[in-house]
Amino acid sequence: MTHQPLEPLQRSWTTRRDEKRRRMQQVQPWMNGPILPSTKIIEALESLIVSGDRIVLEGDNQKQADFLSRSLVKVDVKKLHDLHLIISSISRAEHLTLFELGIAKKVDFAYAGPQSLRVSQLLEDGILEIGAIHTYVELYARLLVDLVPNVVLVCAEQADAQGNLYTGPNTEDTPVIVEAAAFHDGIVIVQVNEIVDKLPRVDIPASWVDVVVEADRPFAVEPLFTRDPRHINDLQILVGMMVIRGIYERHQIHSLNHGIGFDTAAIELLLPTYGESLGLRGKICEHWTLNPHPTMIPAIESGWVKSIHCFGSEVGMTDYIAARPDIFFTGRDGSLRSNRVLCQLAGQYAVDAFIGSTLQMDADANSSTVTTGRLTGFGGAPNMGHDPHGRRHSSHAWLELITDKGPIVHGRKVVVQTIETFQSGGLPAFVETLDAVQVGKKAGMPIAPIMIYGDDVSHVVTEEGIAYLYKAEGQQERRRALAAVAGVSPVGLKAVASETAALRRKGVVAYPEDIGVHRMEAKRSLLAARSMEDLVAWSGGLYNPPAKFRGW
Amino acid sequence: MSEQRNDTKFINRQSFIELNARERAEILFDTGTSRELAGPFDRMESPWLAMQGVTPQADDGCVVMKGKISGQSTVVIALEGAFQGGSLGEVSGEKLTAALDLACADNEKGIRTNAVMLLETGGVRLQEANLGLASIAEIMASILVLRRHVPVICIIAGTVGCFGGMSLAAGLASYVVMTREARLGMNGPEVIEQTSGVEEFDSSDRALIWAIHGGEQRFAMGLADALVEDDAQQMVEAVQSFIAKGVPAVHRSSEIALYRSHIAALDASRQWDPKELRAIWKADVATEDTQ
Repeated sequence: MTHQPLEPLQRSWTTRRDEKRRRMQQVQPWMNGPILPSTKIIEALESLIVSGDRIVLEGDNQKQADFLSRSLVKVDVKKLHDLHLIISSISRAEHLTLFELGIAKKVDFAYAGPQSLRVSQLLEDGILEIGAIHTYVELYARLLVDLVPNVVLVCAEQADAQGNLYTGPNTEDTPVIVEAAAFHDGIVIVQVNEIVDKLPRVDIPASWVDVVVEADRPFAVEPLFTRDPRHINDLQILVGMMVIRGIYERHQIHSLNHGIGFDTAAIELLLPTYGESLGLRGKICEHWTLNPHPTMIPAIESGWVKSIHCFGSEVGMTDYIAARPDIFFTGRDGSLRSNRVLCQLAGQYAVDAFIGSTLQMDADANSSTVTTGRLTGFGGAPNMGHDPHGRRHSSHAWLELITDKGPIVHGRKVVVQTIETFQSGGLPAFVETLDAVQVGKKAGMPIAPIMIYGDDVSHVVTEEGIAYLYKAEGQQERRRALAAVAGVSPVGLKAVASETAALRRKGVVAYPEDIGVHRMEAKRSLLAARSMEDLVAWSGGLYNPPAKFRGW
Repeated sequence: MSEQRNDTKFINRQSFIELNARERAEILFDTGTSRELAGPFDRMESPWLAMQGVTPQADDGCVVMKGKISGQSTVVIALEGAFQGGSLGEVSGEKLTAALDLACADNEKGIRTNAVMLLETGGVRLQEANLGLASIAEIMASILVLRRHVPVICIIAGTVGCFGGMSLAAGLASYVVMTREARLGMNGPEVIEQTSGVEEFDSSDRALIWAIHGGEQRFAMGLADALVEDDAQQMVEAVQSFIAKGVPAVHRSSEIALYRSHIAALDASRQWDPKELRAIWKADVATEDTQ
């Protein structure tokens, strides 16, 4: 066999570095060290970013680099257009204005909660092009592989004159975004609330940072993880009691992640009362990966919780967290250190259980929060809400879910979905076909946007009972188990009384009375806190709820 | 370093707000002395709601109980905020009026009977518009007669608050007891926003709402007579103390000259800070803090 002579490339290996240097030189006249005057930000963006660039705009479901996004929409579209925007959460109106103006063309993202309707419309109108919809860690992972950014726009609380950054309690996504640019000759532009002489601690060193600009106002942050206990109803309390008895106690769940929702808020507030009455303190729910939910305060104060690692912080919780360093991860300055990627990894590989509530489920326990007309995306739930096959260490819960008798088996994560059989407005939550299937088709997605795949789900809990899906033998039995707890929804109506009775005897389905949960006890008086005022009292006055949650 | 905690009592209190109308009414009485009048088993429900596709309730959202408080005969009327926003319809309005009038008749016969109203209400029930409006007029007339004999005590605990026509009833009461989670006002935040625009009043701005309508502000301006914590025990004690006080020498609603002068003195061309109002209004009003 003959082949062509090998010929090493004759090329420059520093094109990225050279290009970065060229762009930085253009803004050099305005700079004082790494500090750019706020008045120059629009011109600077026009110089530092080039049409067609791949840029990351920091914005998740909590904090937002909103000074930079508000500035980016003001650039001259003749100078700067067709950007490829990478953003974890499309949360703010101007994120989409970028597309309407033509400044950006393509987007890769993970979540679009508040803007989901407009995303669908712009997609349909051909104004916006979607690369892919990701989960959080998946999107960050791609920043290190095939979506390496040219420029990143992030936010921090403070910078010093050298450009060291303090990202503080809401550190969240900043480290990974900055790393992806800083170490591959991308440009790192940071908005800060203020420039100070001395930082409380250095979260990101100056040598990773190119441009620091003081914002007109502190970066926007949403109290997304706060649930007012006043709105927890008796049904959610019943579900919470079933989860504590039928899952946490049954499988001895020591480490876990809770999603956002009133079901999980109810569980958190039942631990010091119902959980205590069952003698479970110290036996379950000790190590957590979750944001500092205010509804966790009573459990912490009652001695249930050993540790909490956080994705982000939560508005109003700063002083409380700082006063509980035994529980939370805090810096030398005393304040919380959060990190979304690391917390997602922890929630993926290191915890026994994930529990989240969903809006729609099919007969195979596939679930989705996508409803007609809205492209909400995935956020982080799928990262925690699946059984990671990369896990090798064992725990009681992980081993207990093994049903196979073979010589080679793997343990299993407890993945719980809670769902009320009917949504508000009287629509059944259990359906033949998820809305996601149609939405996915319409949006031209290669596969339907499923939040949690049915085969990852080990337990489904409704107000009717628990389906221990991991125990079911074969698809038919699995469907029957789910139908048995699906109430009078189209899926639930397929349940046959005699089959359900057999499944209850076998322990594949449990109704409240089967696990010693008394429906009549499911009352709000069982909650350790029933109002925001109660949470403040439990915190010893350290929790300071934001105005939108104050009823006084 | 271990900490000394002083909030354990609050955490373990019995919340009054958590109670429904029936439970709220019952807890105010001396133990074992109360009985319900025209209760749910008497099935006095609204004839108008079903016609409009709204499920009626067997007590029409109005609970009337009679019994003893501090050993004195007392009638307690409680509106259920969870049923149609505590709104007043034909039946609930008639129950309320009749309870006040019967108490009045007792007093005229020399049988002292106090009255307590627990108001969680948005006012007139829109589905029964004119009948509800007529009720408000009757209730006001009944309060005016009854309060000559005995104190008429109004409790606004939250979380619905007391708005619309029933805020007038609260205004006529001998004493008003509020928690800081309660709100009292003629027009509710949403109504002000709808009629005058979001610039005038942003009904999503909770800090603003409570700064204007909240119990703390109403008490500080002298428009409520006691501000108690969301604690059933404190509520019971407040009611007992006002029953012991008897009919006030002058009712707030009779202080016409005083409130006219207050309003006349306000420069409406500038935005007043709620805290400033406290300083100006409270100074002239002789009310006592029961805390």
